[in-house]
Amino acid sequence: MNTRNDSYRARKTIYTTLLWIILGGLVIAQLFPLLWVASYSLQKSGDLFGPELFKLPKEPQWQNYLRAWKDGKIPAYLLNTLKIVIPSVTGATLLSFGLAYACTRMEWKMKPLAWFFVTIGLTIPIHTTLLPNFIWYRFFGLIDTHLGLIISYIAFSLSFNTIVFSGLLAGIPKSMEESAFIDGAGYGRILSQIIAPMAATGFATVGVQTFLNHWNEFIMANTYLASEIKRTLPFSIIRFQGEYSSDYAVQFACMTLVALPPLVLYFIFNRWILAGVTAGAVKG
Amino acid sequence: MKSLFHNKTTIALLVIPPLTVMFFAIAAPLLVSLYFSFMKWSGFGTIKFIGLENFRELILQDGTFWRSLLNVSILILVTVFIQNPVAFLIAAALTKLPEKASRLLRTIYFVPATLSLVVVTKLWVNIFNPTYGILNKLIHALGFQDFTVAWLSDPRTALGSVIWIMIWQGFGWALLFYYSGLVTVPAELEEAAQIDGASRWQTFIHIIIPYLFPVIQSVIVIDVISSFKQMEMIYLSTEGGPGNYTQFIAVYLYQKAFKYSEYGYGNAISVLFVVIAVMITIIIQKIFTTWSNQEE
Repeated sequence: MNTRNDSYRARKTIYTTLLWIILGGLVIAQLFPLLWVASYSLQKSGDLFGPELFKLPKEPQWQNYLRAWKDGKIPAYLLNTLKIVIPSVTGATLLSFGLAYACTRMEWKMKPLAWFFVTIGLTIPIHTTLLPNFIWYRFFGLIDTHLGLIISYIAFSLSFNTIVFSGLLAGIPKSMEESAFIDGAGYGRILSQIIAPMAATGFATVGVQTFLNHWNEFIMANTYLASEIKRTLPFSIIRFQGEYSSDYAVQFACMTLVALPPLVLYFIFNRWILAGVTAGAVKG
Repeated sequence: MKSLFHNKTTIALLVIPPLTVMFFAIAAPLLVSLYFSFMKWSGFGTIKFIGLENFRELILQDGTFWRSLLNVSILILVTVFIQNPVAFLIAAALTKLPEKASRLLRTIYFVPATLSLVVVTKLWVNIFNPTYGILNKLIHALGFQDFTVAWLSDPRTALGSVIWIMIWQGFGWALLFYYSGLVTVPAELEEAAQIDGASRWQTFIHIIIPYLFPVIQSVIVIDVISSFKQMEMIYLSTEGGPGNYTQFIAVYLYQKAFKYSEYGYGNAISVLFVVIAVMITIIIQKIFTTWSNQEE
């Protein structure tokens, strides 16, 4: 009896150790590339060519960050990104909330058709609109404008956001609105003061998700924005492809700077991201 | 009271703005695309109607188009049969860990998913760099001096390397989806199976996986859609090369349109691309519904 117990215990120890090795290996796989970039962003570009696999900076070269900030045009591009992201995230969140409300709680004839458009929108690749929009947006003078990007960003976020909100709104009992209505509340108040607070997790998930997508978006900005001064934050990194391409350390510093805001946001809100994914995937 | 949920003005106010935006920025350009897919046009000058010629050429004569579809299929297979099972098993392991450790690991594994495609791509382009990249240094350090590889420009490794970048960034999503599914499995279900004498492995195969079938289904559909949508990583690393070894359909479309100014042909690719993406999604969902109906 005892020996059986021992061998069971031994096997369990082996399994547990193996499990931790795998989990630890994955941590390294997911984090090491980032540490590599962060570490060499504080060294001289030449240090990268040394024989060692990884080296911590002995004398941190903070001026790399100063140069990344200046040569990467980060202040100007950051401002452009904010000018786009603030209206696009607000629009994509509020419009999808309203649409989800109408699609889950209200009764109307065209509802199945509208829902069909919402779900089909999820499968349409952004890239198929790039070329025709060159003609279509030009017609409205939207090429090379931030407004054109804002409209596209909102449009491509609506499907996913509406589906997440719908998952949350469907479960709220209808008596919520009914009693508020009897108390004399209008639709504005019902939506903003009764339903919206109940969908608070939805706002957090959708908000963070949309923010990350729009903050990181590259290909539409690359296609529609012709003027250099109108470009967005990811282009700071692209700038180091050409004239500054041998400044690896500065390029790494620039990558770190661009990646930092979404990372900070993620560490603050990661609970909400998880909550929304649950709502989205399980009800799918 | 019934009128509360039927108020036409409110419905119009809530529905018309978002659908207008979607129509303006998604549906309308697709219609424009459809129109130009029947034309021969270089962006300026004469627009010539050539009927289905673009589509004929694309389907019957364009090897690059088929190569890019093949690459998408390879990516889908790798995602579904390698990345997904790994993510599922890791997610299952995470549910057995103490909450604190589990949350920390989940947070770490998801970090790459929050990064911009530009950052991720440039990061890996540097890691894959033949002279200073860490991968070749590692091979060197292990003593295989003769085996250093130009990862992104060698036809033997290019596709594998870019797929690795995609899998690396997508892993966090797959894990998160499966984890959030796994925590919904009722504990009684597992306990009952174990009382009946089922081993942990048997419980996993016969109870947990069938229970999570809807989640697995959603994740696979998402994987397929996002495999078709891959573009930026290729565009910023190999641009489809060497040759067409890493060509993906969206990159090809972009090159035809903006590098070679074949607007008509580019639009034909766009149209076919939408049709394929939508059809495949519908087909997969159909297959899954028939499957789950048979199960019952």
